[in-house]
Amino acid sequence: MTELLTGLLQETVSGIALGCIYALIALGFTLIIKATEVVNFAQGELMMVGAYVNFFFVTTFLSNQGEPTIGIYLLAFGSSIIFAVAFGWILDWVINRPLKDEPIFSVIMATISLSIILRALVGMIAGPLSLVPYSPFGNKILSVGGIVISVLDLSIIFSAIILVILFYYFFNQTKWGVAMQATSEDSVAAQLMGIPVKRVYGLVWIFSAIVATISGILLAPRMSLLDTSMGFLGLKAFPAAVLGGFGSITGAIAGGIIMGVIETISMGTLSFHFEWIKEMNDIIVWIVLIAVLMVKPDGLFGEAKVKKV
Amino acid sequence: MLKLVGIETYYGKIKALHGVSLEVKEGQLVTILGANGAGKSTILKTISGLVEPEHGTIHFEGKRIDRKDPEEIVAMGIGHVPEWRRIFPELTVEENLKMGGFLLKEKELLFERMEEAFKHFPILEKRKNQKAGNLSGGEQQMLSISRALMIKPKLLLLDEPSLGLSPLLVQEIFAIIKELHQSGVTILLVEQNVNRALSIADYGYVLTTGKIFLSGTYEELLDEEKVREQYLGEGKYIRRSKLWSGG
Repeated sequence: MTELLTGLLQETVSGIALGCIYALIALGFTLIIKATEVVNFAQGELMMVGAYVNFFFVTTFLSNQGEPTIGIYLLAFGSSIIFAVAFGWILDWVINRPLKDEPIFSVIMATISLSIILRALVGMIAGPLSLVPYSPFGNKILSVGGIVISVLDLSIIFSAIILVILFYYFFNQTKWGVAMQATSEDSVAAQLMGIPVKRVYGLVWIFSAIVATISGILLAPRMSLLDTSMGFLGLKAFPAAVLGGFGSITGAIAGGIIMGVIETISMGTLSFHFEWIKEMNDIIVWIVLIAVLMVKPDGLFGEAKVKKV
Repeated sequence: MLKLVGIETYYGKIKALHGVSLEVKEGQLVTILGANGAGKSTILKTISGLVEPEHGTIHFEGKRIDRKDPEEIVAMGIGHVPEWRRIFPELTVEENLKMGGFLLKEKELLFERMEEAFKHFPILEKRKNQKAGNLSGGEQQMLSISRALMIKPKLLLLDEPSLGLSPLLVQEIFAIIKELHQSGVTILLVEQNVNRALSIADYGYVLTTGKIFLSGTYEELLDEEKVREQYLGEGKYIRRSKLWSGG
């Protein structure tokens, strides 16, 4: 019995770490949909690009000098963030601005095309082989009362918490953050306040690219192999965002973590004890999603919005 | 101060304004009257840059503004209180006011203006930490007006401020507008409440299906039979002198 409990606890901890990644992808995704009403199906690919770019920077700075040092990791991280800023800015001009008021179908097709193009481009540039990503944390683990947690997982959880606090502070305490909220609530009224709405949209895309890049950098070492299919993980951001409540930032984070935990437990203890669950691992989150939506159509943290005419 | 010449605005292929020309002089309270769908709101939206006119020019204080972005137009000193108030419902009252002062560079000035707003509308101060969506209709209208006043606009565009308010609140809102006007703000007011609007206005324009159809002072417009028939709700107007002659 205690064995089962420690097993579950163990899986919960690593599920939370995985869930933090989902939460970050869902966060990037929610930021965009909230502010600009564009559904960005390429969010997972943004993350994948971020992971590759970071890998590229690490190898470039390393230039065959053995193991990378902390300095190199930080330098690569900083460069990747600078790249993310530029990337988000370009996407705003390529995807967001031209398609802002176009039918939702065009926007969906554009972001899906973008995801395919990014996957192919990265594949072309990086080559067909999977890469072994560097990790500043190696395989170090901590063990607390029989529960083992890798330093990597800890750092993922830690970074996610810091990011969320930063975002929370930005959105609620700074002028531009509140302006972003105002824009997503009513872009016309925001324009009448003198808020440069187009610049706000650009900022949202940049933020989203930064969050995606950070989640890519964190996720890559956890996957042990880096290849372009990593972007497909982004698809899990959708159920995470919907589970928590579409368009709610708290919802995206909670939804992501819940999904990560469910997935890990179902792959671990549940599959071990029930043979049939093993077969359903891939669909279990979707089943949970439908079950939640049946009871709470607006998601766990979503508020039923009545659109005023 | 504000001059529109031959403004034509389209929504897609639908022509909403068919060559509107009007003028607002400094210190005036000018009102635009007209039925639903006549294009009153479109005039205001065209002035503040939310929609771009196809033809015609708009000058504000001698500068042409009809190709500028809304944020530039606000920065020039045109405040706009939109139809249905459009406060930010999920933001607090205080945050709504801060957004109204988005263009103010100095923090002290922002807080000074906010104090002024609270002095004018003490109810807003009481509710400053509440979500604006939870305010009553009248309070929301006060918030919407105070929000637009944060930048001390030279010209204030008011789009149907009495919409959806109880008669008592309508009275209050009109008193506020009158007070604003007396304090020196130039106002362009769009209203369906013709009697009230004209009673406080210096000059009025009557709009039908995207065209200016009449214009004049309160007295002049009241004299027009057509205005009384169509907008003052008095039905067919028959001059007393003609009553017995069958005219």
